[in-house]
Amino acid sequence: MIRTVPSRLPLSVSSSVVPASSGVWQNGPRRHQGTAAAAAPAKPKKTKFGPLKDEDRIFTNLYGRHDWKLKGAMARGDWYKTKEILLKGHEWILNEVKKSGLRGRGGAGFPSGMKWSFMNKPSDGRPKYLVVNADEGEPGTCKDREIMRHDPHKLLEGCLIAGKAMHARACYIYIRGEFYNEASNLQVAVKEAYDAGLIGKNACGSGYDYDIFVFRGAGAYICGEETALIESLEGKQGKPRLKPPFPADIGLFGCPTTVANVETVAVAPAICRRSGEWFASFGRERNSGTKLFCISGHVNTPVTVEEEMSIPLKELIERHAGGVTGGWDNLLGIIPGGSSVPLLPKSTCETVLMDFDALSAVQSGLGTAAVIVINKQADIIKCIARLLEFYQHESCGQCTPCREGTGWLNKIMWRFVEGNAKPEEIDMIWELSKQIEGHTICALGDAAAWPVQGLVRHYRPAIEERIREFQEKTSAGNSPPQLKRAASV
Amino acid sequence: MIRPRGRMLNTVCSVAHHHFNPSSSLVLPTTTTRSLSLGQPLLQAAKQPPAVVPDNRVELFIDDKRVLCEPGTTVLQAAAMVGVEIPRFCYHDRLSIAGNCRMCLVEVEKSVKPVASCAMPVMKGMRVKTNSVATRKAREGVMEFLLMNHPLDCPICDQAGECDLQDQSMMFGNDRSRFTDIKFEGKRAVEDKNIGPLVKTIMTRCIHCTRCIRFASEVAGVDDLGTTGRGGDMQVGTYVEKLFASELSGNVIDLCPVGALTSKPYAFTARPWEIRKCETVDVMDALGSNIVVNTRGGEVMRVLPRPNEDVNEEWISDKTRFAYDGLKRQRLTLPMLKNAQGVLEPVDWEAALTGIAAKVSRVEGREIAALVGGLCDVESLVVLKDLLNRLGCETLCTEEAFPMNAAGTDVRSNYLLNTKITGVEEADLVILIGTNIRFEAPVLNARIRKAYLHNNLRVAVVGKKTDLHYEYDHVGDTIQALEQLANGEHKLSKDLAKAKKPMIIVGSSSLQDADGAAILANAIVLADKLKSGSSSGSSDHDWKVLNVLHRHAGQVGALDVGYTPGAGKIKELKPRVLYMLGADAGVVTRKDLAADAFVIYQGHHGDAGAEIADAVLPGAAYTEKSATYVNTEGRAQRANVAVTPPGMAREDWKILRALSEFIPGASLPYEKLEDVRHRMADIAPHLLRYGAVEEANYFKQSHALVHGSKRPSHSGRALAPPQTVLEDFYMTDSISRASRTMAKCIQAARHHKTTKYSVS
Amino acid sequence: MSLVDKLGNLIRAVKQNGGLFKSIRTFYFTDDLKWGTHVGTDKYGNRYFENNYYFMGRNRWVLFNDAFRLEYDGSQIPPEWHQWMHYTTDKTPIERPPVQHRWMVQHEENKTGSSKDTYYPYSTTRTKIESWMPKNLR
Repeated sequence: MIRTVPSRLPLSVSSSVVPASSGVWQNGPRRHQGTAAAAAPAKPKKTKFGPLKDEDRIFTNLYGRHDWKLKGAMARGDWYKTKEILLKGHEWILNEVKKSGLRGRGGAGFPSGMKWSFMNKPSDGRPKYLVVNADEGEPGTCKDREIMRHDPHKLLEGCLIAGKAMHARACYIYIRGEFYNEASNLQVAVKEAYDAGLIGKNACGSGYDYDIFVFRGAGAYICGEETALIESLEGKQGKPRLKPPFPADIGLFGCPTTVANVETVAVAPAICRRSGEWFASFGRERNSGTKLFCISGHVNTPVTVEEEMSIPLKELIERHAGGVTGGWDNLLGIIPGGSSVPLLPKSTCETVLMDFDALSAVQSGLGTAAVIVINKQADIIKCIARLLEFYQHESCGQCTPCREGTGWLNKIMWRFVEGNAKPEEIDMIWELSKQIEGHTICALGDAAAWPVQGLVRHYRPAIEERIREFQEKTSAGNSPPQLKRAASV
Repeated sequence: MIRPRGRMLNTVCSVAHHHFNPSSSLVLPTTTTRSLSLGQPLLQAAKQPPAVVPDNRVELFIDDKRVLCEPGTTVLQAAAMVGVEIPRFCYHDRLSIAGNCRMCLVEVEKSVKPVASCAMPVMKGMRVKTNSVATRKAREGVMEFLLMNHPLDCPICDQAGECDLQDQSMMFGNDRSRFTDIKFEGKRAVEDKNIGPLVKTIMTRCIHCTRCIRFASEVAGVDDLGTTGRGGDMQVGTYVEKLFASELSGNVIDLCPVGALTSKPYAFTARPWEIRKCETVDVMDALGSNIVVNTRGGEVMRVLPRPNEDVNEEWISDKTRFAYDGLKRQRLTLPMLKNAQGVLEPVDWEAALTGIAAKVSRVEGREIAALVGGLCDVESLVVLKDLLNRLGCETLCTEEAFPMNAAGTDVRSNYLLNTKITGVEEADLVILIGTNIRFEAPVLNARIRKAYLHNNLRVAVVGKKTDLHYEYDHVGDTIQALEQLANGEHKLSKDLAKAKKPMIIVGSSSLQDADGAAILANAIVLADKLKSGSSSGSSDHDWKVLNVLHRHAGQVGALDVGYTPGAGKIKELKPRVLYMLGADAGVVTRKDLAADAFVIYQGHHGDAGAEIADAVLPGAAYTEKSATYVNTEGRAQRANVAVTPPGMAREDWKILRALSEFIPGASLPYEKLEDVRHRMADIAPHLLRYGAVEEANYFKQSHALVHGSKRPSHSGRALAPPQTVLEDFYMTDSISRASRTMAKCIQAARHHKTTKYSVS
Repeated sequence: MSLVDKLGNLIRAVKQNGGLFKSIRTFYFTDDLKWGTHVGTDKYGNRYFENNYYFMGRNRWVLFNDAFRLEYDGSQIPPEWHQWMHYTTDKTPIERPPVQHRWMVQHEENKTGSSKDTYYPYSTTRTKIESWMPKNLR
């Protein structure tokens, strides 16, 4: 589930390039020309996306209205002819996933078929592992926990099929420590699956030996980063590794490993059953499929909902979340993909489509599709400052820019909240965030930098206004205690 | 407390990491000895002339300069090949790659983000820009972040002047800070940790490069250091307050790029820019580690290691580094002679030498004996031997014994570390016999550990079990076990015989008593067996198996110029005059001498020798003379004058030369040090081939002699090296016994044993 | 002053110094030859003279004890005579003996520069080298 890091992947094409990587600061939204050209398909097959029909939903027990155990899951179609799928072989599975155009649901949006096929290098004797990243810690994101709590068998079946696709020996599900009920349900489901012979030795009778282990983390945001997660699984401090070597070469216990998000893995059985073409029929080209959207913030009915990719943001909110509190005109801005992607101003929100390419074209990202709606009653600066505090707290401290930079950004942001700052510090915080972005081992540095960049890009007048107000207040005579500027240290 | 993971699993990178060591190529005078660690195919390829090398090298461009390097090299190493220095804090040649300081970021064409050059393997056609605007901006940014929480206390910091952060902030830093602390929260402050009497910590200065942690866990083999907390609260430390219990702990002081870890004994005593540096060698163990003695105003301020790939890489033991305060205490500074009341009193040189000459001329030459200690240089040994030989004395012994049956010391290969220290990196099996190598040669032990980690070196131990910081097969405690091994009857015999390049290291500490002969004889037999087993499979017929690890820096030199090992002859002779040259081990007492014996002690410390002496002549310690030492490999190295001898003390050969003037008919012809060295060259030319190892290869003859004679009997006792726990390590000679720092170390080690955090 | 007066002074001075030889000796020691009233002698045997014929500053002088020879020094004058010599008072200690308080220490000459009894300040720094001493000397 971490977190919008397209550029760390070697094959990321221009469509997934980091927003605003040009290093030039631009005020207001601006289309990235290169990405826009690549993103817009020449002849879109569909022009209208969503709403998703009920029969097309993959997660049919998202709200826990039905039995989550094996019996209920089988009634909903899980584990149906899994053996046949397995027996079709890994090439077939990979092909279906490639055809489906499935992109990683954890944030980076890397094509899953390609990622899984990296594991099919000739074996050098080391076992291969699938690691499922269930360390869902991104603020605003609440999709994986719904799957694990209400539909654990979907995930387990996905683990089996994905594992088969990459010849994995075993699967580790790294679940966040705070997810007590989820881990409990998942563990029960694993037990049921073992008992029913669905996994374990000769899984589903296909002759394929496959084990699934549930590993509970200790609750650190950074452990959602794939290499930190591997470290944590190995029993070490959750600190990201250097890449290269990538986990596909040297991962868990030094063996080839693929780390995949819960949602990515959980949709794999449906893709195999209903074909890749079916999955690819949703959403725009290269952004296909259905997706769980988590809508929170200032909406009337916050909800996690499965929707078609490329659904317009406005429609998503109006249809499923009951609209923005106080009406659409009361909207201030939206964080479209979880806390680590930049903000969108209202003007962009009107038209933007919810998919990878459309959002990166407006210098944001789909991330985990956790839509955080902020209306005009909220203090946008304080919102971002709170996010910075989160990132400061969750920085692992391994590498310099993030360790030192997040603390610094946090300090400045809270002064912005008061207005106790100089206008030139707005430029400085922009520069500082650029000094962090891209200079760290993992993507947490980028994640910490982007909210600030989004704020400065779209809401600079608000900060300036706050500073002006503060100065007026202090010059009027009722000066607060921290009026004098401390000497530079 | 989990140590940060390195990149050891990545074999590709660790090959490169050890093979392309930019600094090693600078320090090595010879070409072949760069053979480090793994990657044998690569290694052999590198040894051949370049024309026939199948060129799988990668071409890349650093600042538009073309570089060809092996795949797996990192960008930083490739840059070093063309002389481009990339700034770094966390990267170190001899440690695993952490890549967390981000100072080495460089711009690579077609890469979106700047790349950490220390961790990035080279790729074909890469174009690296180490001085572009983007690169400099990245560095400036990292530097700004580092300085944001770094205290600006350079004026009171011991590292100032030799601080990487200071230097690099001069190069890459901004001239003013943008960090404003409007709420007076201050910079990060971290509590200092007490990790022992040697390493001082000022943890607020820490920049979290984790070099010390990686050194401790990889080289020193103790997982004492680690990080706790995360983000801005991350701290480097021992988690619970405990001793950093390693005999190599001082090296973290050199590794620390800032002033977070500094030397406690050196604290606030001198500044790097006021210090005079003297390159010399160490005598605290028989390895002859290369050191730099830092002096100020005729006083030794500290000792630092000097890189020498063949000997000590760039590590030195704590005794080498910190025993220097022993050079300032308990010193002999005045000649002394016993007066009529039989009481030693200071006299001038002339009176002392006249008095000694009178006593020496009174007795016959054969009633004289000489006993030399472990810290003697070859020059003084040669002059002493010449002087006493002129008087007709032939009883010249060393304190350290060596079995003399069969070939004894007549065959030089019998008493050398024949495989050489670097041989450890090629070997696939090391059998340690009766030595706790961790304390008798800590730096060699670090190398064995390195080979154990990277080359799958197998280690077997005969002798008491001790913690060597790596796993080993324990053959047995007793000489019987060794005997079984030599006869091929031990249960490990078959297994060990498979080794292609085996090494046997016999500790000289186990050869001191009557059982030494049996131990050495069995080792020779075992060596011959392993050699004949290995040479059938291995192409290296010159591979030597038998090695003796000495404990004293002067021992090999003394044996090379013809001293008799062991004081046995003296005890038989009961001499009337005994000339002790730095003999402080207390091997010979008054009881072993004639009743009216006159004992002359010449040396630098008032220790066991001076206590029993009738005449005391103050000599020079190893930092005070230009002298030759031969290390346990047989490598002659020269010590240089860092400071002048204190008080009336003089260089040892000069004292002996002056004494010869006072004895009728014994006057020696040496006017200058060069004359003495010419004489040394007459005796053994290799003594002047500094830095080179004079090899010896008479294993067949030696084995034949052992085979021909009866196998010596033994008591069947357990092989127990004298140094078993950390506190035994610190005081082994007259210098370290005089050192307060070493005394504090012993105290700390003893206390550490009483805490529940001690491992062994 | 006439030549006669000068000659008279010289003769008086020579006479007071006890003849030609002793006058030469005094001249050699003090670079001066004067005559005056002998006003007193201190505990060291230094003799103090006064002659107001000489102008202020030269009218009081001391002839040090012959035993000092050339090793005389201003600090050999005790404080009470020092007072008179420097015109702090016109009364010699003989005319007005000094009050001896209990807390007053005996006057001692300054031994600085002499080979013996020189005062050395103690050192607060540790010696660079600590020498070994045999047991009997320790």
